[in-house]
Amino acid sequence: MEGDGTVPEFIDEPSVIDDPVNEVETEVKHGGVVQILDCDDKEKEEEEEDWLPPPPKITVDPQKHCEDPTIKALRLQKQELMLFAQSAQEVLRTVEESVRRDLEATKQSSSESLPENPSKPASERPKIVISIQDKTGLKQFRVYMDDKFERLFKMYAEKVKLDLQSLAFCFDGDKISPTATPESLGMEDNDIIEVHAKSN
Amino acid sequence: MSGGIARGRLAEERKAWRKNHPHGFVAKPETLPDGSVNLMVWQCTIPGKAGTDWEGGYYPLALHFSEDYPSKPPKCKFPAGFFHPNVYPSGTVCLSILNEDSGWRPAITVKQILVGIQDLLDQPNPADPAQTEGYHLFIQDSVEYKKRVRQQAKQYPPLV
Repeated sequence: MEGDGTVPEFIDEPSVIDDPVNEVETEVKHGGVVQILDCDDKEKEEEEEDWLPPPPKITVDPQKHCEDPTIKALRLQKQELMLFAQSAQEVLRTVEESVRRDLEATKQSSSESLPENPSKPASERPKIVISIQDKTGLKQFRVYMDDKFERLFKMYAEKVKLDLQSLAFCFDGDKISPTATPESLGMEDNDIIEVHAKSN
Repeated sequence: MSGGIARGRLAEERKAWRKNHPHGFVAKPETLPDGSVNLMVWQCTIPGKAGTDWEGGYYPLALHFSEDYPSKPPKCKFPAGFFHPNVYPSGTVCLSILNEDSGWRPAITVKQILVGIQDLLDQPNPADPAQTEGYHLFIQDSVEYKKRVRQQAKQYPPLV
């Protein structure tokens, strides 16, 4: 049983492989004469089988049923692996991107906090935008937080061509002292100062 | 929780007001003696509308918000004894949009309240009187009524 079992196996599978092996051996053994004969008779077969051990299996695929499934399986496996690799690459990419974003964000936040200190000497004084509102509308001014209001008031009076002495400036209903600053009044960006013509 | 909602909304209202409000109006949460801010009570100023007998007056108004704001409207109070047909002797304003059971909606802003009260000053609602003196003069003696309104405007001059 064992011997029977082993023999058929050889016949079935390697039958294709056996022939080329034998023929190659004969070629080597017989030398040039045999080669010529071989070329004439078995040109196609031998050349194919010589060259083909790798290639023929692929070209002759359709005829050989044994290799097809394995190659197909290999192809499928390869495809699967390719897909795996692609998806893995995509995952890696997204991870890399998110990491980069995080890094950039941290860099920005750190760069925001960092440059503030070094650059403070140059443009250290924080600025805010303040709107001055009269009965007709708003005019916006960018001022230093620690700049006295008298400078802003003069700018405004010149802009609207009115006598500074005739104007009163209020924030939240309170008259603003010319010596006050946006900082001292706790003002924020886009806060509104109202102008009133003095009643007297 | 409701208190949190009220304060959150009031903080938003204040923020919006600081960036944009009608000229001459003031609306700010009161500052307590210890320097802390009480968002639940706002001290406001309503200017009398130009071209009316109320012009030139800057009328102080306090808004008292409850923990149920904005589900319920704030109580709006002029100084006690304020002369107007729709203001109670206590100073409380009687106005439909400030009535929980009538015109109040949670979406009404502080700005809308103040502008609404400014409109009410020169356009009293005789169907809803809140004080006898203002109401009777408005109905019966328009000359005396106007005189009283102008007198009152002088009592509340601009602060500047």
